[in-house]
Amino acid sequence: MSEELIPKVKQMIIDSLRIEGMSPDEIESDAPLFGEGLGLDSIDALQLVVAMEKEFGVVVPDAATGSKVFASVRSMAEYIVENKK
Amino acid sequence: MNCWMFPGQPLRHDQLFPATPEGEEIISLCCAATGFDPSNWQNDGQNGSEHVRLQLYGTAFSLCRTRLLRSAGPGPDMVLEHSMGIYAALAACGCISERSALELTARVGSALIRMSESARYALGCVIGLGRVPVEKAAANHGVYVANYNTSSHFLLAGERSRIMSAMEECAAAGAFSMSVFDCDAPLHTPLLTEVAADLEAIFSDYSYAEPQMPLLDHIDQQPLTSTRIAVFLLDELLKPVWWQRSYAAARSLGAAAFVEVGAGDALKKFNRWIDSESRA
Repeated sequence: MSEELIPKVKQMIIDSLRIEGMSPDEIESDAPLFGEGLGLDSIDALQLVVAMEKEFGVVVPDAATGSKVFASVRSMAEYIVENKK
Repeated sequence: MNCWMFPGQPLRHDQLFPATPEGEEIISLCCAATGFDPSNWQNDGQNGSEHVRLQLYGTAFSLCRTRLLRSAGPGPDMVLEHSMGIYAALAACGCISERSALELTARVGSALIRMSESARYALGCVIGLGRVPVEKAAANHGVYVANYNTSSHFLLAGERSRIMSAMEECAAAGAFSMSVFDCDAPLHTPLLTEVAADLEAIFSDYSYAEPQMPLLDHIDQQPLTSTRIAVFLLDELLKPVWWQRSYAAARSLGAAAFVEVGAGDALKKFNRWIDSESRA
């Protein structure tokens, strides 16, 4: 189930963070999004929180949860599947 | 219209200077003007704090980017500045020389260090909480909102122990994330009145030409004029940065393309957030 969501999550990341010149295929599903991976930061994290809520109806309540959810595209997809109403 | 945005002090120095004549010339200029080499973090002992070195790195990086952008295409129609980005912005607008921008950065930084001799100061970044609870937390703990970056991104400044207490209140109020950074002095707060006379003397040492294009200040979003610049340079260190208002003002004046002229991309991210809210 979460595997099916992965392309959508990648597209959401690209759209919400306005990442130019990158296609969903170029984002690795298991690579870290913060630090060494896509190099995202806490400003990006809040933008992703809003996008996830808008697109999937899933709430990430705080940064501690966010650090687990935003570990990778796959963890985001899994969180959406587990928490979608 | 094309708007160039000059960011304030970066938190890190992990972006390399471009290996171009422009990069090498700015590095040499920084060494000559301040004794600090921003490419290898070496200094001659005059720039005594890590924060001053980061400020110099930020100014030098912006000056380098300015040269590269100018060599690649037309210059800006309008300029915005954020915090310590003002010095490189003034140089880009032709108000002062690149050397003066670097000198000013070093001299202001050195003046600010003196505040750290009497107290320990910090900055607190609060993300994901609205203006009202952030201002309330600041007031409750005797610190100040130094940056109003977006509707949900603020920087507090003040004595470190008070910042920690204010951050606890922000956490309890539901902030999404928070981080604390040490600093030499609480920029953009009235606490800087302590060194205002020293800063005023520094700014009066320079002459300022009329900006060659509109340079909007981050307090009132008005175009700076040559006669206002010295006063503004002191004033801006005692008052908060209103980034969201600056971005909105540039938009309303017709700016459509925004280029961040410096290290990092914080301003672009602030703008992205502001745009997403206006679309919603």
